Amino acid sequence: MFLHILMYEIKSSLRVKDLVFWLMLFPIILGTLFKIAFGDLYEKEVTTDAIPTAIVVTAENEVFRSVVESVSDSDEPLLKPEYLSEEAALKKLKNGDVKGIIYAGDKLSLTVSGEGAEQSVLKLFVEEYTIREKIITDTVKTDPAKAQAVIAALSEKLETSEEKPLTKGNTDFYIQYFQNLIAMVAVHGSMTGLHVSMSQQANLSELGARKSCSAAPKSVSVLASLAGTWIVQSVCMIITVSFIAFVLRVDYGDSLPLVYAAAIAGGILGVSFGFFVGSIGKMKQGAKVGLCMTVSMVMCFLSGLMLGNMKMIMIEKAPWFNNINPAALVADSISSLNLYSSYDVYITKLVTMLVISVIFYVLGLLMIRRRKHASL
Amino acid sequence: MENTVVKIENLVKRYGELVALDHFSLEIKEGEIFGLLGPNGSGKTTTINCLLSLLSFDKGNIEIFGKKMTPVSYDIKKDIGIIMQNVVVSDELTVRENIDYFCGLYIKDKDERRKCVDDAIKFVGLEDFVKFYPKKLSGGLLRRLNIACGIAHKPKLIILDEPTVAVDPQSRNRILEGIQELNRNGATIIYTSHYMEEVEQICTRIAIMDKGRKIAEGTKDELKRMIKNTETITIEALGLEDGVVAEMRSLPHVYEVRYDGKLLIILCSGGKHNLIRALDVLQKRELGFGRVYTELPTLNEVFLEITGKALRDKEE
Repeated sequence: MFLHILMYEIKSSLRVKDLVFWLMLFPIILGTLFKIAFGDLYEKEVTTDAIPTAIVVTAENEVFRSVVESVSDSDEPLLKPEYLSEEAALKKLKNGDVKGIIYAGDKLSLTVSGEGAEQSVLKLFVEEYTIREKIITDTVKTDPAKAQAVIAALSEKLETSEEKPLTKGNTDFYIQYFQNLIAMVAVHGSMTGLHVSMSQQANLSELGARKSCSAAPKSVSVLASLAGTWIVQSVCMIITVSFIAFVLRVDYGDSLPLVYAAAIAGGILGVSFGFFVGSIGKMKQGAKVGLCMTVSMVMCFLSGLMLGNMKMIMIEKAPWFNNINPAALVADSISSLNLYSSYDVYITKLVTMLVISVIFYVLGLLMIRRRKHASL
Repeated sequence: MENTVVKIENLVKRYGELVALDHFSLEIKEGEIFGLLGPNGSGKTTTINCLLSLLSFDKGNIEIFGKKMTPVSYDIKKDIGIIMQNVVVSDELTVRENIDYFCGLYIKDKDERRKCVDDAIKFVGLEDFVKFYPKKLSGGLLRRLNIACGIAHKPKLIILDEPTVAVDPQSRNRILEGIQELNRNGATIIYTSHYMEEVEQICTRIAIMDKGRKIAEGTKDELKRMIKNTETITIEALGLEDGVVAEMRSLPHVYEVRYDGKLLIILCSGGKHNLIRALDVLQKRELGFGRVYTELPTLNEVFLEITGKALRDKEE
């Protein structure tokens, strides 16, 4: 009976056009657009020299000066800084000798000559520095005792590009977009999990009522349907990663098999999450779909999939949430392969995903089994 | 003695202030085609949902095949076939796959299942449509598919909840004949409908429901005997005098006579030879008459007399 339900779940899932589009075609389309939009940036990042940048000091800032030194003196320097007066800097910017002017004082500001990959990199550099500086100053104000620890931690993060990456991972900034895309596909799996849950409940669907009348035990029916959905979702994740790696030629180094594993675990987590949401309480179908979509979007937002700075804010304000947020777990597990010199973080994230999946499944099943409804 | 297949005792189901089932009891014997008849909202589907353990209820007891029915009574469920009011199939599976899917929820053995699926397809006459997806089927064919999905595993008890709603007459007749055939093959049938003709046509015993209560139960003849009017005689006759109408009123078993100058309508309660006695009155006076017909009461009249309202909704 388990295999019978499993087989039909896979068969019918693969024939749902919406599912095929959102979980298979959409990532391919979006990935291709990312490649078109950021591919040029990527090429420039890896092939061009350091970005010529004018720095106008409006007030002395030792920390900033030392950061500029660190990013301009490395083997692959990011900036080629020139400390100038404002007048000289503007002249050079006008002539195209520098790509931007950073005004360094109590706060940083940036003026660029136009739009392009190098200008985007300068903008990101200034934003990143501003966020980290704010974290340190806020900590000094609120809890001076922890200031040293925070400075040390953030300095360590600034130095991650100098750390020897795990095996031959890819530390390019632009790869983040594809990690986020993989995380988004995994979180989209919540809608298929939600569908499984609703199709088992008599008060949410006629199919649920019909199944509830059958001789198939609820636990078998639910597990077989979920297993079918997990398999379909895993196939979608494999297609997405394969497309990114082999068609778009995004380089994951020799960590590609681990990227597949993280993506599959993320997909399973997404489906289980949707199943859990679908099993909660007595809400009607529309309300559950709305809740699942909203929570998924919020998770993506808070993990930085939509707004780059959000990840830093969450790390600062609610690091615990980052450790259980499915979207963050998927993206972080993949990025950890390129940032850390051991598998510890990767394994922790992977195990967390699987444990949360099991918790979601068990809680969901407990909520819908043996349930009689007050109304249908 | 016939075995009791379904026993419902004193069932009470409330939706807030509304009492959907009000101390409803029922006993259905093996081999019956039992009709649950009542207008929309009378509690038929609620009864079925409680019976199948889909709905909780406030009071009462339900036994099927002599065992208490619960959501996990899978040993009972394996012998029940359910055909729901709305068509419940998967749009992503073909006709054959749909029947096989539902059949597989009851039968594990592949060979046995294949035979059951073939039999069900043949039974509902969908041989030419096995590779069609439900969206390509007409309403009548969809209903037949719905039935095939419910009966493929050859259940001992089949519950049909208004299976002919929005079905064309041809498909309706085929469905009704099929239900009778299933019954001849040994299945006990529970059939809910608000179409009295269907219930009269196929059911061996009938319970009439209204406002969650059972207001009458019996065979169709027993139900018709419950009401005052057992026969309506209509005679076409012109210009009858008042004395003739008065003599008609004085005949045994006649309780009401109406005459509009063209049609003489005589309502009788019980008795035999009512028509012969009425025609004797006319012949003795050598009065001519046209067409003569006599009608037995319908279930609608039974319902009307018991509840004071028509069985069917106005829009139907």
